[in-house]
Amino acid sequence: MRISTIAFANLKRRKGKALFLIVGIAIGIGTVVALLSLSGSIKEEIGSQLDRFGANIVVVPQSNSLSLDYGGVSVSGVSFDVHQLTNEDANRILDIPYRNRLSFISPKLLSAVEVEGRQVLLAGVDFDSELKLKRWWHISGQSPEGEQDVLVGYEVARALSIIEPAAGSTPQAVFHGGSHQPSEDQSQFKVMRNRLQIAEHEHHIAGVINQTGSPDDRMIFGNLGHVQSLVNKPDQVSLIEVSALCKDCPIDDIVGQISERLPHAKVSAIQQSVRARTETVERLTRFSAVVSAVVLAIGALMIFTTMMGSVVERTKEIGVLRAIGFRKVHIVKGLMIEVTAVSFAGGIVGWAVGLLASWAALPYFSETGVALEVHLSLVVFAIAAALSIGILSSAYPAIRASRLDPSEAVRYV
Amino acid sequence: MSFIVVEDISKVYRENGAPSGVPVLSNVSVEISEGEFVALMGPSGSGKSTLLTIVGAMNHPSDGRVLVDGIDVYALPDERRADFRAEYLGFVFQQHHLMPYLSAVENTMLPLATSRRGTKEKRDRAMSVLEKVGLAGKARRLPNQLSGGEQGRLAIARAIINEPPLLLADEPTGTLDTRTGNEVMEVFLDLNRQGQTVFMVTHNPDNAQLAHRTIHIRDGSLVGDSMPQGDSVTGHTEAVSVLIEKIESLPV
Repeated sequence: MRISTIAFANLKRRKGKALFLIVGIAIGIGTVVALLSLSGSIKEEIGSQLDRFGANIVVVPQSNSLSLDYGGVSVSGVSFDVHQLTNEDANRILDIPYRNRLSFISPKLLSAVEVEGRQVLLAGVDFDSELKLKRWWHISGQSPEGEQDVLVGYEVARALSIIEPAAGSTPQAVFHGGSHQPSEDQSQFKVMRNRLQIAEHEHHIAGVINQTGSPDDRMIFGNLGHVQSLVNKPDQVSLIEVSALCKDCPIDDIVGQISERLPHAKVSAIQQSVRARTETVERLTRFSAVVSAVVLAIGALMIFTTMMGSVVERTKEIGVLRAIGFRKVHIVKGLMIEVTAVSFAGGIVGWAVGLLASWAALPYFSETGVALEVHLSLVVFAIAAALSIGILSSAYPAIRASRLDPSEAVRYV
Repeated sequence: MSFIVVEDISKVYRENGAPSGVPVLSNVSVEISEGEFVALMGPSGSGKSTLLTIVGAMNHPSDGRVLVDGIDVYALPDERRADFRAEYLGFVFQQHHLMPYLSAVENTMLPLATSRRGTKEKRDRAMSVLEKVGLAGKARRLPNQLSGGEQGRLAIARAIINEPPLLLADEPTGTLDTRTGNEVMEVFLDLNRQGQTVFMVTHNPDNAQLAHRTIHIRDGSLVGDSMPQGDSVTGHTEAVSVLIEKIESLPV
């Protein structure tokens, strides 16, 4: 006979209440475990998706001259051919030690050309990587395939009367950047023609890029090789956009490594983009933390209420124990053994339930079928959290119980 | 020197933190010698149980002091007073207050739960005490599987397992019929014969008759302190004989 004998006998006697507490703790811990596992997996997914969503490093030629602006990044060499970049430079980037962290490299040649009497910025791009890089593009028409195929930005198309407002227009096939999955056209325009004179050469308009609100609206995109020969700048590029897989990666190191490989170029990270990615992931983490805290607080409140009820219910019993010589600390110890046993069980069950729930729920939250990550540390966390909330929320009821006046406790029954 | 000295005790209960104004006990003084069997009688609300719990080191008096074996009980810090209760006192409650989820032997061992003795030693000791009260054969039973008299005897077993010098009882036969009440009283008498000091609250004059002394209390004050007729201070042969006769005459 020890204090633990009384505690376990008590749990055995109040099976229903013990089970209720275990289920309550398990729900709380399970929710937190599910949230943590889900948010961990979704964070991975968002991180990797964001890393593929647009460039976060731009390589431009070193130049002291005034330059045109592209997406908030100054672009040298549009008008002045100073330390021009070449196709070879784009390939060199693939030699850096962190090459496995690079998802896309998209070289571009930008040049002002005359199109049907207007000056327009023509971009020579590698459509394969460009369309993967700019997943937000919605293209009315087709994906460019031939050498002479071009994509026209929304404002250029409007200025050159390539499109007209779509009152009662027939739906156009729409391609999304990267995915090339046809979907219903959300645009409000109709493509009127598919031929365009650029620098006195006829080109085929493969599609019109729906309004993006970016400089892309004021540009025409053509095949890089073709544009290089069209503007008589063979093998030259104006800038290279690089998308680095930057979840937890040192972007500054990547920038440094590219600068080392291309000493004649200016390499800069688009910090805004990096910060946006980090912030998105952090927001998700914060949201999970807040929801977890609320759930744990509710769990703690439930344990507190149950334990307070249990103390009231056992006033006589505690009074008898005090009367026969139990110290206050013995009373607290007995109640704490009960709570620890219940919390431990709740933590284990909660961990198992949480993992099971997140495994079942993951397909509804994930787009890419990311696998559930099972960390051993999570079971340690689940047990530690269950014990902490169990012990903390029972501390007051236990101390209150130990302070019961034995004569009063026995007299009241 | 007396084993128990109750010195000018007064008690006023507090209500909502303030004294209620009505004293439950007023300037009560009693002395009890070692080995004595003292009954405390009085009408309901007279302060009997309050005096018993004050002597039992679990109800702080408003005034006065209690010495047990020379120890000023209420001068001890709270936790030391708990140790004192474990070492010096055995308490038998009116409702017995047994733990319904523990077997008879476990209930008996309860006061030993905080001691560092080995489980076997505790169990052996509990079994010998159960033997003493005639419950050795029912050691594994739960309290609700025992009769009222057996429950009373089990409560006594729990109270004496630590071999306390003083046994306190608050109307131990109050909820029992005459026969089972007599069974329980026989155990008290038997223990007292072996030198156990007993201080018992009772409403029952027959039970009081069995004690060496009967103290009468009314409205919180002592109104009498007498020995049953024909009894000496140290013996109760006649009363015990009457009780044994009563028990033997009951149908089995």
